[in-house]
This record gives sequence, structure tokens and C-alpha cells, in this order.
Amino acid sequence: MSWTLRRRSLLAGSALAVAAAQQARAQSGAWPSQPIRLVVPFAPGGTTDLVARLLAAGLQERLGVSLVVENRAGAGATVGSEMVARAAPDGYTLVMSNIASHAISPAVYRGRIRYDAVTDFAHVALVVSNPTVWVANPRAGIRTLADAAARARSASGLDVATSGAGSSNHLMVVRMGQLVGRELNHIPFRGAGPAMQAVIAGQVPMMSDSLPSSVNHIRQGSVIAVAMASAQRHPAFPDVPTFREQGFDLASDSWFGLSAPAGTPPAVVERLNRETRAVLADPAIRARFAELGGTPGDMTAEGYGEFVRREVALWAPLVQASGATPD
Amino acid sequence: MDLITNLGHGFAVALTFNNLLFCLIGCVIGTAIGVLPGIGPVATISLLLPITFGQPATTAIIMLAGIYYGAQYGGSTTAILLNLPGEVSSVVTTLEGYKMARKGRAGAALSIAALGSFFAGTVATILVAASGPLLTQVALSFGPADYFSLMFLGLVISAVLAQGSVIKSIGMVALGVSLGMVGTDVQTGQQRFTFGIPELSDGVGFVSIAMGMFGIAEIILNLERPEARSVMSGKVGSLMMTREEFKRAVPAVLRGTVVGSLLGILPGGGAALSSFGSYMMERKISKGRHEFGTGAIEGVAGPESANNAASQTSFIPLLTLGIPANAVMALMVGALIIQGIQPGPRMVEAQPDLFWGLIASMWVGNLMLLVINLPMIGIWVKLLAVPYRHMYPSIMIFCAIGVYSLQNNVFDVYQTVVFGIFGYLCSKLRLEAAPMLIGFVLGPMMEEHLRRAMLLSRGDPMVFIERPISAVMLGIAAVALVAMLLPNIRKGKDSALQEGG
Repeated sequence: MSWTLRRRSLLAGSALAVAAAQQARAQSGAWPSQPIRLVVPFAPGGTTDLVARLLAAGLQERLGVSLVVENRAGAGATVGSEMVARAAPDGYTLVMSNIASHAISPAVYRGRIRYDAVTDFAHVALVVSNPTVWVANPRAGIRTLADAAARARSASGLDVATSGAGSSNHLMVVRMGQLVGRELNHIPFRGAGPAMQAVIAGQVPMMSDSLPSSVNHIRQGSVIAVAMASAQRHPAFPDVPTFREQGFDLASDSWFGLSAPAGTPPAVVERLNRETRAVLADPAIRARFAELGGTPGDMTAEGYGEFVRREVALWAPLVQASGATPD
Repeated sequence: MDLITNLGHGFAVALTFNNLLFCLIGCVIGTAIGVLPGIGPVATISLLLPITFGQPATTAIIMLAGIYYGAQYGGSTTAILLNLPGEVSSVVTTLEGYKMARKGRAGAALSIAALGSFFAGTVATILVAASGPLLTQVALSFGPADYFSLMFLGLVISAVLAQGSVIKSIGMVALGVSLGMVGTDVQTGQQRFTFGIPELSDGVGFVSIAMGMFGIAEIILNLERPEARSVMSGKVGSLMMTREEFKRAVPAVLRGTVVGSLLGILPGGGAALSSFGSYMMERKISKGRHEFGTGAIEGVAGPESANNAASQTSFIPLLTLGIPANAVMALMVGALIIQGIQPGPRMVEAQPDLFWGLIASMWVGNLMLLVINLPMIGIWVKLLAVPYRHMYPSIMIFCAIGVYSLQNNVFDVYQTVVFGIFGYLCSKLRLEAAPMLIGFVLGPMMEEHLRRAMLLSRGDPMVFIERPISAVMLGIAAVALVAMLLPNIRKGKDSALQEGG
């Protein structure tokens, strides 16, 4: 920023008045005056990536500068997040913070991760949250969680597929096993697509998935939704009961939001929060998110910061129970 | 016939001016990124995704599909001319293709790659249109045990058919499998062999290995032998295939098309597996098998046809089930969902324009690629006339940019350097790089399916024998292994290979 200012003053040269005006504008909120980098800590093509690109297009329009989406995948989304944690807090480097990088990985990579999910970031806004849904193959004979629990307690046990080890979907399987009183047989896949294929083919009877990757298959009837792990029933699936309604105290959404490095000027964070929420309030964007099965966020910056703090506390014990460690 | 009416409808959609234009744009971009080493279709499609938001869904998907199969076409160009495989599927093309280029047959190799791909693309397009849903059932009947046995068979065959010392090639396969183990364990999320380097948590980069072991190692070797450099620029040779070459290529193209069409529908690495599979098949049964290792045209024709057929049939699970078979397909699902379209069984009825338009555009796109690529062959081959002292720095720079652009990470460039030096040492020691790459690609997939099959069977290994598909694969693998180990049969194999030199 200071470099930009110096260059600007130099350019202004003799026209001191212009320079002064420029400086005044810069100090009182000339942000943004250059392109903003939006780091997505996942490979291109995932839900986070898609949502980030939709959001970037909206923010670009409102902020008047371009947003460049940059994919920095790896190590449970911690590589990209660490990069942003160390970036200059000038509002020109942002990250899509999410349940993996900011709640689960800090517990999995305890002691190895080089950022603190709470104190190293100025959390800006919750962008979207997706409920977890448990689906079953229609021929598996599992219509309710009671069926699933009975299968788990039987001699054969219950196989449950997920998109991968250490994901929130996996931790739900661990938690459900604790509630049922019998460990479930967790079958991890590489991504939700192959896992869903195995469920549709009948190789695995059940899957713990986040709603966006299941939504089409539920609508087409190739799998049946057994339970929704949210506090309330999902508006798009009013017939699917929640875990709590079926007697299992489990509610968890996967989520992602926008965060900046700690020390970013509060005015910039405030502006970003305002514009992000305005983009998310756009009916066209809302319709697209609804299509994906997600709920657009509407939180203040402080609210989101508090939310991240609570999530970190929530997941740490479950990660320990799951036994996922990087060693 | 419904099929003909539907295809007619599809062509009516695909041949509108706008869709033709975007199909062309997609094909040109695809060819360009295929030619540039390292820059793959995944990164390109994700960058171009926002551009498609403003277009109708059909147009958007036609363009993205054009990029995808255009990259398969383009990837073979650098593989043949410069020994630089940009994609997993073009690794195999370097084996015989680059040898052909060194013999002055670069034009013929490029022509058969383009023609074979076009033929395979045409057949695969008809297959997608006629029996997509049926083939989906085949893909669904493959369980984890069957995948494991299929890949195990692949590894055994790659070791059995390797040139030169069997011990060395088994060693290279084992090294490749070990390299594939680096990274996060899928089952437990634990880090393996990463030595605390966070960049290794997602494994060693395939592109880094492929470019290092083939492209960079080749450059070091060429710099070492001044005479080799002039050989390349001296011989350009006739651009067209001879009648003899054509005759030998036809059966290879046919076999490659069958292998590719079938393996393409299996999720995860269909295109890669199919070009390896086809190469192995040609090396074993084609008439020119004794020429393998010195630039046999079958070794280009078969795998190139196979990977193009596979890239078309890999649309089947996406279009009929809504399940992406690979990363590019996952992006396609994303593009469709953003447009408010749900990929899946009902898409054929709900979106006939999109479904049949896309299928017709695949064929149109393949035709365009042929038209773009055939005249370009003369220009590409002229590249070989560029003095090597100008050529190799540019190759190195393009490689570095390409590798860097994969994840915007310098670490990947360092990896490429390491594998370049290692690849140079390997060729000094007469260790083949191809078995190592096959091990690297198949090893982790095998491990994943093995462990998943064991999880599902509660640790009972009988599952591999009880399932018919798996049992047949393991049976063939056992026969191949026994044949290799029996000394008299092996002697026969060695002498057969020696005949070819």
C-alpha cells in the first residue's frame, strides 16, 4: 500500500493538490485500487471452487476491480490457507476459509500447521453452508436411521461410504458410531463421485455426503435420503427427517466463507462483508445455491469469526476419536 | 429408427452457427494447451468456466468438451516431436512416436495419430449414442475387487512385456509403485513418505515425473551427444505414411478403438489405462511387434486411437448417471449445475438438445480437429529444423511455466529438475522409464481398491476369487506370470525380442 502511495505521489509530481487528494482518498478508503487475489485452497472443479467463482464475479462488479481466483490445493486445504495467513493484511489477498482448513485440519495436523484458524485471520463473511445428508441404496433395505442402527448392531455391521478420510462426512460416521454404540465400517473414497457410484451400484449400502453432491441423485431416485444432519428440515426436502427427529443427537453443516489475513483494516473487512452479503442476497445467486442444496450465509464479520471459533472447538474431540493424524 | 432421428436432431443443434463457432474455439484452445507441455485441460477449463456463464448450456458444454478432446489431440504432438508427454495418456505415445521422429518419420507418426484419433472418435461417438445406458451397467458391475484385479493384471503384463532385463523392469515398476505411495493415505488421512514437506502431501506430481523422466532427461542426453542433435534437424522425411505403414496401422487403430471404448467408461484413469492397455496389446500381438522400441507405427496408432475413444466414452457415466469419471468431467458437472441443469438419467428426456447436441458435436469436433491438425503437421515437423541450441532452452522454459501453472507452486518445478536428472541416470543405466510410470499411475489405484475390497469383505481375501470378473483377471495374470517364470518359454520371448533388436 505504501509503495502504491509513493508511486502515486511521484506521478502526481508538480500537481501537489492532486497528490494530496489522492492520498486522502487512499487513507479514507481508496481500497480497492488494484486486483484482488482470491485463494481457493482446493483443486479446480469442486463445490468451493464453483462458489468462489460465482462470488468473485459478483464482487468484481460491486468493487470495480477484478478478482483473480487462484487454486492452491493440498494438505487438507491448509497450503492455500497458510499462504493467505502470511500475506500482507492489505485487503488484496483473500481466502475461501472452510470447514476443512479452518476447523478439521487444525485438529488433524495439530502442531504442524503453521497458522491459527482463529487468530491469524480477519474472518469476513460466511458464504454458504451445506447440510450433511445420509443416503442409502434403494435396494439396501435402509429407510430410516433405526434400520441403519439395527444393521450396524447386526453381525455383518454397516458399511458407510464417504468422500474421504478426515472429511466432515467421515467424522459424522465416527460420531454416529458412538451414538449407535457400535463402530460403523467406514469406506473412504477419493471424492464424492466415486463414492456415490459405489452406493448406486449397491457395493456400499450407505453414504454420508454433503447435500450438493447428492442432490441430483436424490431427486432422480437413484438413492434415497435417510436423514438430514441439520437442526431443521431442509426446505427443498421437507419429507426428509433430521437426525435429531430420529433420535440421534447429531447436527452439522459443512461451510465455507471469506477470510483475510489478521490485521486487515476493519473498514476493508466491513466493506467486504457488506458487498459479499449483497452478492449473496441476489436472487439469481440464491437460486443457483438453492439448486446446489446450499444455504447462502448472512452473518456479520464478528458473527463469522465467532462461528469459526465455535467450529474449531466442536471438531477437535471428534478428530481425536477418529484417529486421523498426519503421522 | 429413434437413434437416427435423435442424431439428426443433435446435428441440427450442433451445426448452428453459434455452436459451430464455440466448438471450433474449444478445439483450437484444446489443441494449443495440448501442445504446450504441462498446461492441462483441467486448469484451462476451470479458467474458462466463467466465460461460459453467459452462453446457453449446450454451447458452453460443447466448447468445454472441445477443449477436452482437443487437448488429447494436441498432447500427442509434443510427445512425438519432443519426447514431452503433457498428459498421462500421451506417455505411451512418446515410446514409439519419438523413435519414429528420430527416424525421420515424424510426419507419418503425426498423421496416424490424427487419423487414428478421428476414426476412434467417430466409433466412440456412435457407441455413446447407441448404447450409453447399456455400457453404464458394465461400469456399475465393476466392484473394488474387480478393479484391483484389472490393475494387477496391467502391472504383471507391463513387467512381462518390458524390453531388456526383466529384473530391471520389475524394479522400475516397484519404484513407480513406491513413488505413488507418497502423500496422504486415502483410508486414514495419514501422511506417508512426505518427510514433513507439505507440498508432498498430495503426492508426487505426475506431470513433473513424466516431463522430467522423458523430456528433460532427453534434452540432457541430446546435449551430451552433439551428433544426435544434428540427426534430429537433418531428417524430416516425407509427411505422408507409406502404403506399408498404413497397412500396419489399420489393425492397430481398430484394436485401440475397442480397448479405449471399453476402458473409457470405467471411472478413474480410463484414458491413461486405455493407452497403456493398447500399447501392451500391440507389443504382444501386432505384426510389427519385433520393431517395438525402434519406432513401430502400431505403437502410435493403437494408443492414440485408444485414448481418444476413451475420452469420448468417459462421457457415458456423466451423461447417464451424472457421475464424473475424472477431474475434467467433474468440471463439466459443475458447468452444467451452474447453468441449472442436473446431469443424470433424466437428462436425455429433459434436455434432448443438450444431450444429442453434445454427442453430435463430438463428431463435428473430431472432424474439425482433423482439419486443424493435418495441415499443421507440416508446420510442426518444420519445428524440428530449428537449431537445437535455440530449441532446448525454449522447451525448458515452456516446461517450467507449464509445471508451475499446475498449482502455482515452485516446488513442482524443483521436482521436475530432480526427475530430469534421475531420468538421465536411468537411461545411462538402461532402466526404462515407462514401467515406472505405469507403476506410479496404477500402484496407488490398486492399493485403494485392494484396501476398499478388504474393508467391504471384512478382511476376507476370498472376495478376489469369488467375483467372476476378478477371478478371470487374476487367472490371466497368473498364466502370464507362470509363462514368464518358466525358463524355456522365457528364452523364447527373449529371442523374439532380440530379433527386433
